[in-house]
Amino acid sequence: MTELTLAPSGARAGQLSLRRVSKSYRVNGRILPVLDGIDLDVEPGEFVCVVGASGCGKSTLLRLIVGLDHDYDGEILLADERISGTSLTRGMVFQDHRLLPWLTVEENIALALENVASPAAAKQARVQQHIDLVGLAGFERAYPYQLSGGMAQRAAIARGLVGNPEILLLDEPLGALDALSRAGLQEQLRRIWISEKITMILVTHDVEEAIYLADKVVVMQPRPGRIARQFKVELPSPRDRASIPFVAVRQRILADMGRFESPAPFAAARTLPAA
Amino acid sequence: MAQISVATLAETVPPTRAPHEPAAPARGLSWLNVIGLILPLLLLGAWELASHLRLVSSVFLPTPERTIESFMDLLLSDNFQWDLLSSLNIVGQAFAYGTALALALGIAAGLSTTVERAFGPTLDGIRHIPPIAWLPLIVLWAGIGPLGKIIFISKVVFFPVFLNTLQGIRGAQKEHLELARVLTLNKRQMLRRVIIPGAMPSILVGLRYGASLAWTLVVVAEGLGGMTGIGFLIFRAQALLMTDQLLVCMVVIGLIGFAIDYGMRRIERRVLRWKPAFEGA
Repeated sequence: MTELTLAPSGARAGQLSLRRVSKSYRVNGRILPVLDGIDLDVEPGEFVCVVGASGCGKSTLLRLIVGLDHDYDGEILLADERISGTSLTRGMVFQDHRLLPWLTVEENIALALENVASPAAAKQARVQQHIDLVGLAGFERAYPYQLSGGMAQRAAIARGLVGNPEILLLDEPLGALDALSRAGLQEQLRRIWISEKITMILVTHDVEEAIYLADKVVVMQPRPGRIARQFKVELPSPRDRASIPFVAVRQRILADMGRFESPAPFAAARTLPAA
Repeated sequence: MAQISVATLAETVPPTRAPHEPAAPARGLSWLNVIGLILPLLLLGAWELASHLRLVSSVFLPTPERTIESFMDLLLSDNFQWDLLSSLNIVGQAFAYGTALALALGIAAGLSTTVERAFGPTLDGIRHIPPIAWLPLIVLWAGIGPLGKIIFISKVVFFPVFLNTLQGIRGAQKEHLELARVLTLNKRQMLRRVIIPGAMPSILVGLRYGASLAWTLVVVAEGLGGMTGIGFLIFRAQALLMTDQLLVCMVVIGLIGFAIDYGMRRIERRVLRWKPAFEGA
């Protein structure tokens, strides 16, 4: 059992560094490179969004950071220490909520505290605090089959946060939701990040989502996955999707991504002035 | 800037009537609960008619009244309950041992292909020899007392429970196991919190089937040897042409079997309350 004290959340120490991270898969005897020379630094408390088309390796990148896969070249360091295996300091929210169907909402969230040494009452209080944080008060005893997609994903986010990790990784968490739920949850995610100040790395194919949420956007190109461009998003909060700077950033990113797909749709975008 | 016109089609007004109340589940004397009794009552009626009108000789089909009299006789003067308890005892023990072994081996084989390969072929071989073919050998080795019957019934109960448990464990979803790894659960925690709960639907199917199987086999086991138990009573009644006693035993066996399965279904519903049930098309 790790001694992770349930201290109130604040900006936690630990810069995440990726140095020359590369990974390949062996498929039918051939070697398929998925990631090639990824260099990335994430400051404590930062919200980083990784955007890219399908097949650019962004989900693989998250799996390496969370420790589900250790077959790669290069280094992944958290607070100057090599990561090895999974850890309660790195939490994850999956695209399919992955709530265990046989546990209620509060039991599912409490599962993240299973290996935390703390009295039961403190754990219970913390679970309840996070249920309220994601707006699921009243649904503590509901089973996953009784929840809508958005509610289940909120429970998964609560589970990712309850153990007070240093970093929360989110793998296209809103991808399976309808547009309305997605917009609502993006808003909620941003508010949670502002109040919890946890480092977040969110992978998405939705460029608007990335601009709306992130301090820093990392644009990845596919085949093999490489970082094409990283830049800070310096739009004031709360961000207005309809504002001209927002749209300009969006066009810029789409142009970047378009360079690696067919050029035609984004030819016009390249003539816009830089943001 | 182009003029954009937005015309309101309808403005919703808050409803003045009470909100919709979902349909309550059928309770008490509603049609759905009573429908199951129609067929038995019809059969009972047919029985009454056939036996009273002597459509069938009373040796082959005694009247329901005679059967009930016989039941009272058995109960009061023949220590029927003692035989019944003896059968229940044997079935209970056999079920317990058979399922305990099946669950343990099923979980072990489910988690480790080595175990499965080690035991698999042998178990498969044994499984394909029909139970009735085993009985003479078991009686030869263990005698006609309770031990032989328990061994026989345990063996038959073992296989469905073992196979269903194995399949349930193997069906553990990769997504859940990955989640368990992210939450840093160790192997024991994974087994207890993820793998076994996920296997429960399969395991319970096996247990339910095993329970009914065990009870129906008691007649076979007791019929081929021994002097006690409800199975023995059936064969004795046949030998003495006491058809009324025969029917009493059959009805009692049927009712107890029904009760056992009903109990298992209730347990299943409780343990699997997290699963949305399919109630039929």
